Amino acid sequence: MGGILVIAEHRKGDLLDVTWEILNKAAVVSESTGQRVTAVLAGFNVRAMAEKLAGRAHKVVVVDNPELANYNYEVYRDVLTGIIKNLRPVLILIGHTTTGMDLAPALAAHLNIPLATACIDFSIEDGKLTAIRQMYNGKVNARVCFSSSDCYMVTLRPGSFSVETENAWGGEIQSISLEVEKPSGIKFIRSVEAALGEVDITQADILVSVGQGIGDKKNLQLVEELAALLGGTLSCSRPVVDKKWLPKERQVGSSGKTVKPKVYLAIGISGSFQHLMGLKGGTIIAINKDPRAPIFRVADYGIVGDLFQVVPVLKEKIKSLK
Amino acid sequence: MDIIVFVKRVPDTSEADINISPDGLHIIEKDLVFDINESDKYAVEEAVQIKEKLGGSVTAITLGTDSSEDVLRRCLATGVDQAIRLTDEAFRDSDACGTARVLAAAVKDLKYDLILTGVQANDDLQSQVGPVLAEYLGLLHVTVVNKLEIDGKIARVHRELEGGVEDVLEVRLPAVLTIQTGINEPRYVSIMGIRKASRLEIKVRNAADLSLSPDGVGQKASQVKIEKLFIPVSNKATEILTGSLDEMTQKLAGIIKEKGGIS
Amino acid sequence: MVDTRTELIDRYDLTKCFQCAKCTAGCPVSLKSVLNIRRLMREVLLSPDLQGTFHKSEIWDCTTCQTCTLRCPRGLKPHELVINLRSLLVEEGEIPKTAIDALEGVYKHGNPWGRARSKRSEWSTGLNIKNLTEGDTAPLLFFNCCTTAYDPRVQEIGKALVTVLRTAGVDFGCLGNKESCCGSEVRRMGETGLFEMLSEDNLKLFQNSGVNEIVTVSPHCYNTFKNEYPEHSFGIKHYSQLVNSLINEGRLKFSRELNRKITYHDPCYLGKQNKVFDEPRNVINAIPGVTFIEFDRSRERSLCCEGGGGRMFIEASASGQRLAEIRARDAVEMGVDIIATSCPFCLLNLEDAVKTTGNEGKLVVRDILELVVDAL
Repeated sequence: MGGILVIAEHRKGDLLDVTWEILNKAAVVSESTGQRVTAVLAGFNVRAMAEKLAGRAHKVVVVDNPELANYNYEVYRDVLTGIIKNLRPVLILIGHTTTGMDLAPALAAHLNIPLATACIDFSIEDGKLTAIRQMYNGKVNARVCFSSSDCYMVTLRPGSFSVETENAWGGEIQSISLEVEKPSGIKFIRSVEAALGEVDITQADILVSVGQGIGDKKNLQLVEELAALLGGTLSCSRPVVDKKWLPKERQVGSSGKTVKPKVYLAIGISGSFQHLMGLKGGTIIAINKDPRAPIFRVADYGIVGDLFQVVPVLKEKIKSLK
Repeated sequence: MDIIVFVKRVPDTSEADINISPDGLHIIEKDLVFDINESDKYAVEEAVQIKEKLGGSVTAITLGTDSSEDVLRRCLATGVDQAIRLTDEAFRDSDACGTARVLAAAVKDLKYDLILTGVQANDDLQSQVGPVLAEYLGLLHVTVVNKLEIDGKIARVHRELEGGVEDVLEVRLPAVLTIQTGINEPRYVSIMGIRKASRLEIKVRNAADLSLSPDGVGQKASQVKIEKLFIPVSNKATEILTGSLDEMTQKLAGIIKEKGGIS
Repeated sequence: MVDTRTELIDRYDLTKCFQCAKCTAGCPVSLKSVLNIRRLMREVLLSPDLQGTFHKSEIWDCTTCQTCTLRCPRGLKPHELVINLRSLLVEEGEIPKTAIDALEGVYKHGNPWGRARSKRSEWSTGLNIKNLTEGDTAPLLFFNCCTTAYDPRVQEIGKALVTVLRTAGVDFGCLGNKESCCGSEVRRMGETGLFEMLSEDNLKLFQNSGVNEIVTVSPHCYNTFKNEYPEHSFGIKHYSQLVNSLINEGRLKFSRELNRKITYHDPCYLGKQNKVFDEPRNVINAIPGVTFIEFDRSRERSLCCEGGGGRMFIEASASGQRLAEIRARDAVEMGVDIIATSCPFCLLNLEDAVKTTGNEGKLVVRDILELVVDAL
């Protein structure tokens, strides 16, 4: 049968950006290999999303069932196994999100499909699939290849490809009704929304963001003063929250908030993928003593240096500019 | 409650320079500091805390050479009751499924109510072994657990999602849970504690002990292989400022102002 | 370290304590903490609940300045009791999170700041210092200290000492990236096992380096090498003692006048604990143009800056004025321009205090070495 299967991810009636990104990449690969792209949408009351997907794939396969209203590995595994066995794609693409990663490894093992995760790109050349994946805090990339198989699976990091597209496809929507058994091992109870804190960093135009490099809670004063000087807001990366130096509401990243400031000053932040996922745009400025920190790959401007030396002098320079 | 925790010895790469071997297939390990994988440390602490509350035992298992025994001793000093090291030339260069196959064989004859491991290993960042292991054992799994309560034969867990959202789930035990950092505060393990723990025996098992055929594990069975490692080069034109500290900060202040960074 | 009540009573002679309270009366942190060392001595002796006596957050407030021990009329050592009780908490794994980070940093990377060992000697790039672990030889080892190596402010002091030693023609070397933490604060945080490991490894390193004498920047390194390490035959000097000798021998000559009013803050680990009061003062007074004014609380009565006892890594349990802030305010009232000191922890704490009391611009904090270099 062949073809590229993209497992669409959605939450609360919205398709995630990563789904659009993967469909874009799939479209490019489809063009060069002739493999057709099918989006798979499993959920409850998902007709509207199916229609959106149809504009970006050759075909959309929809399974609409109350048991699929909330992600549950037990149920999704059974539904997707059925679909995959039926469609027999050569390549399955899933977003490297927490849900994607709850699903993909076990599903791939269940179906004995080779899987490469945390990938930022892949290509099919002369019928051979290779993927580029991240390792060691993002400091090293690996090009991986697969042993021969009828089907392969790759999970792709959000932000690896462009969300926008100019293509408009008229994909066919195929609804499948399946017997979906109630799960017996995992039961979804409820969803907990992020607690609303005192500070909403998503509204800030200027963010001074601090990472593990700050070393200690008592050193925060240095960056707090810088934030105050710029008229900006203090934010941080995950390790700072794990160490309880700042509350979770200040965290930028995949498990924190997504921000889109005009200016983002990343101070003592290595730039892990999870952190960068929460940063969507603006001028990124990095100060870090490690010249190989991943943050320097995405920053617009950077100073390689010890933040305890750089920040005090920077404050003086800013004072004289105000 | 009998709990099994899988742990891994990984290099600390936060500040270290990472260099790639001439053959492009490994990183150079000399001068790197190794320690227990961060999320595994939280998994061990969680297991020990559950044991302290509910009674039972905790077994820590790792797949590695004898340098991995440091990690196991640390686990024993934390309050783990038993430690097992799985080692064999045949296990070398396993992919995630190969590793999971070895781990599954190791627990086949063990009694357990719960299996924990970290969300991902900070060296390969694969996040696969936990769920694949569950699949091979015929168990269900929940990943990225940042809150865990045991209620008889059920685990009530919070699964951490993007944006600070959490899904609350109930899982029937036995199951595999992968543990996220920040779920607890790992206790300090003292040198004396590690020394005391060195007196405890670490069981060593090889492929034959686990009745594993060498063809089913390691490089031979690996379906995903590294072709080449490389240091990523940015496509982005990052301007790294140069000059004296005074010059760089002067320039940066100007840039910040220009880009609307001073309000 | 001992762990039963009987052993504690025995080791620290707790039955001899007659509760005169000279210890608590002199304890600097009692100004802001509920830590009551007199009561602790009695509780450990009598309380049926030994665990309860030391499972208290205030036990981490102690800076081990040793005022209590120095004042005790019966020659008892209350500060050592605190350290022993901390070691019991360490074995339980129940210590402040920041202390965990510091101890793990020392274990893994050889420094409590968690910085990479490969960057330890980066501060001296371009200075071409002899590396005694790579074949160079010298009779004197300049032991840097983790804070000198990694803290940008204190790196200036390291550089200043290099300048002074070279100006005086002193032959010295360093241990490069092989240098590890002296272990002083590790011991004071109760991690006895790690301290033993460090002291053994460090002594081996010193022996292999072929030196006779070791000079330190930090009084903490000085104190632990001199008084707490296993028996050895190295001559241990704090830089103030060495520089004082160099000045007396005419090997350091000053060509500039400072024209400043200066006071000196005696670091606890140098002053009251090791009686090194005069040498730093001699050095300051040898600098031309210095008007020296003593703190009221000077020499043995110097007010602890709250840097010792692992306090650089542990926040006080009680909020309240930092002791260093009292020092800063006193100095402003005295009308001095500079607080001079001779300890990296005192320097950092006093500088912070100058800022947090809003006295930036009125007062600066300098290490004695920096004043010496300014006047050379």
